[in-house]
Amino acid sequence: MEKAVDVRDVVKIFNKNFRALDGVSLEIESGSIFALLGPNGAGKTTLMRILTTQIGPSSGHAYVFGLDTVKEGSQVRKLISYVPQEMSVWTDISGYENLLIYSKIYGIPKEERNNIINGVLESMGLHDVSNRLVKTYSGGMIRRLEIACALLVRPKILFLDEPTIGLDPSARKVVWEKLKMFKKDYGTTIFFNTHYMDEAEIYSDLIAIINRGKIVTIGTSEELKHSVGGEILHFILSENGLHEDVLRELEGIEGIKDVVVSNSDVTFVVNDAEMILPHIMTFFNKKNIFVRRVSITKPTLDDVFLKYAGTRIDVSGRLSEVTHVRRMIRRG
Amino acid sequence: MLKDFFRTFSSMIELEFRRLKHDRTEIYSRAVQPILWLAVYGPIMGSIRAIPTGNIPYTDFITPGVLIQSTTFISIFYGLTIVWERESGILKKLLVTPAPRYATVIGRAMASGIRAIFQTFIIILVALIIGVKFILNPFYFVLALVIIFFSSGGFAAISILVASFMKTRERFMGIGQALTMPLFFASNALYPVTMMPKALQYFATINPMSYVVDAVRSLIISGDLTNLWLDIVAIAIFNIIMFTLASVNFKKIIE
Ligand SMILES: Nc1ncnc2c1ncn2[C@@H]1O[C@H](COP(=O)(O)OP(=O)(O)O)[C@@H](O)[C@H]1O
Ligand SMILES: [Mg+2]
Repeated sequence: MEKAVDVRDVVKIFNKNFRALDGVSLEIESGSIFALLGPNGAGKTTLMRILTTQIGPSSGHAYVFGLDTVKEGSQVRKLISYVPQEMSVWTDISGYENLLIYSKIYGIPKEERNNIINGVLESMGLHDVSNRLVKTYSGGMIRRLEIACALLVRPKILFLDEPTIGLDPSARKVVWEKLKMFKKDYGTTIFFNTHYMDEAEIYSDLIAIINRGKIVTIGTSEELKHSVGGEILHFILSENGLHEDVLRELEGIEGIKDVVVSNSDVTFVVNDAEMILPHIMTFFNKKNIFVRRVSITKPTLDDVFLKYAGTRIDVSGRLSEVTHVRRMIRRG
Repeated sequence: MLKDFFRTFSSMIELEFRRLKHDRTEIYSRAVQPILWLAVYGPIMGSIRAIPTGNIPYTDFITPGVLIQSTTFISIFYGLTIVWERESGILKKLLVTPAPRYATVIGRAMASGIRAIFQTFIIILVALIIGVKFILNPFYFVLALVIIFFSSGGFAAISILVASFMKTRERFMGIGQALTMPLFFASNALYPVTMMPKALQYFATINPMSYVVDAVRSLIISGDLTNLWLDIVAIAIFNIIMFTLASVNFKKIIE
């Protein structure tokens, strides 16, 4: 099966000495949803601009459905759709008119235009507002209109650069519901950039984490979280301390990697918390040890990021970028 | 190939029509200055008879000049707005469509011609009210409109070219003025070229605006078509050079 995206040792150098991408390699199966997760300035947009044929790599190669993005750029452009990070619709005309202009640029035959436009308006939930000027749209509506533009041609692969940046949680959810529906109907491959960990985790089949121009790890969100170590089971008991023998027996239970006791708190590091919990409960019951409270903590993608990149995804940078994008959307 | 070109080209033109349908304030506000030239400057200069314009009244003589200055101004600013689109995602998205890049550039440039034509109608209407006498030949008039439309594309291409070298959009206004004013004053818009100092006369002969003004003046005011072919050839060469340079440099805008 041909790979939807195949990136080999791509390096991109800006201004002669700044390595925005520092040897990126990547393969994505056709029909999957792929998330490129990383903080601000990691190189996500740069990689997407190379894949969408806007700029060429300084060295290395990138292929989309087997086509070289540099040598066969015009063929690549026939297969893909793209929603840039910044606002990309004309605000001084209506939503319908935006779609009409794009459908003409894409060369959609006259007889089909109206049907297709109404179809994407419907699937992005914009039918009622299609004749309003885009100026009057909310940020979420603008994003959905941009995605609608990208869906006019039923692309084989859809590139989304930070599709929900600056949107509130409910608007984000709507955008993703619409996208998932479209993907279900047409089997489109989706490649999206994000710095929201939850978004990568919930909506993608495969996640690559990028930091400072390098892909630090790649896998499904389960695999990535497993790679961090184990899950944490935390018990609070009604009595202080555990007997030495009890502790040794606990450590013998299969699946328990580590036990730490401090006063009435007992913390276990385990592979699979839900699986091991009943065993531990039964064990405490048999020993007549009363449990007051149990909690399970699972590693997050933030922990994954911390492990591979050595820092957390910066929260403050995130907020300022959001307000920046908001301003852009308002300004048009 | 050609089909792709026309498709993109006509989409860009249609976009401009639709924008104007929703909002024409810019066109009206930009008409104020040329109206002042025609209603105030023209009669005053004309009354002192300092500038020899043959048997054509001075205000009539400068009408095509003021008109072309105003449409050129619009085109140059229109081309420069592309630096705004660079910061938004519009250009990036257009470049990722199957539309040929040169068609996007030429289409964008030519779309300024739509604004120029709107402006032309307003100014001609005002000139008629002031009492300027036009040649009543529909064929000449349409040809003049076509020339204004195409030359606007060339001027917009100049500013798209300039925009591809600009790093920020702060100097935008100043650059627009700096491009238009020399073209205007070193042309035959307000006085015959023969009245200018020698150095300026030389500049006027390579100034595309001179050829546009001359063509339009001959078609709507003087009726003397002796130089028309020369003018049209000069404008065509100017457009081809500008479209080529702007298309070649276009990649710089998004790099
Ligand atoms: N056109 C450019 N010229 C110079 N530097 C750039 C350019 N585009 C991006 N960069 C730099 O490359 C780095 C990666 O940028 P980008 O790919 O936009 O990151 P992300 O999308 O992950 O936030 C940043 O430090 C950015 O400043
Ligand atoms: Mg980015």
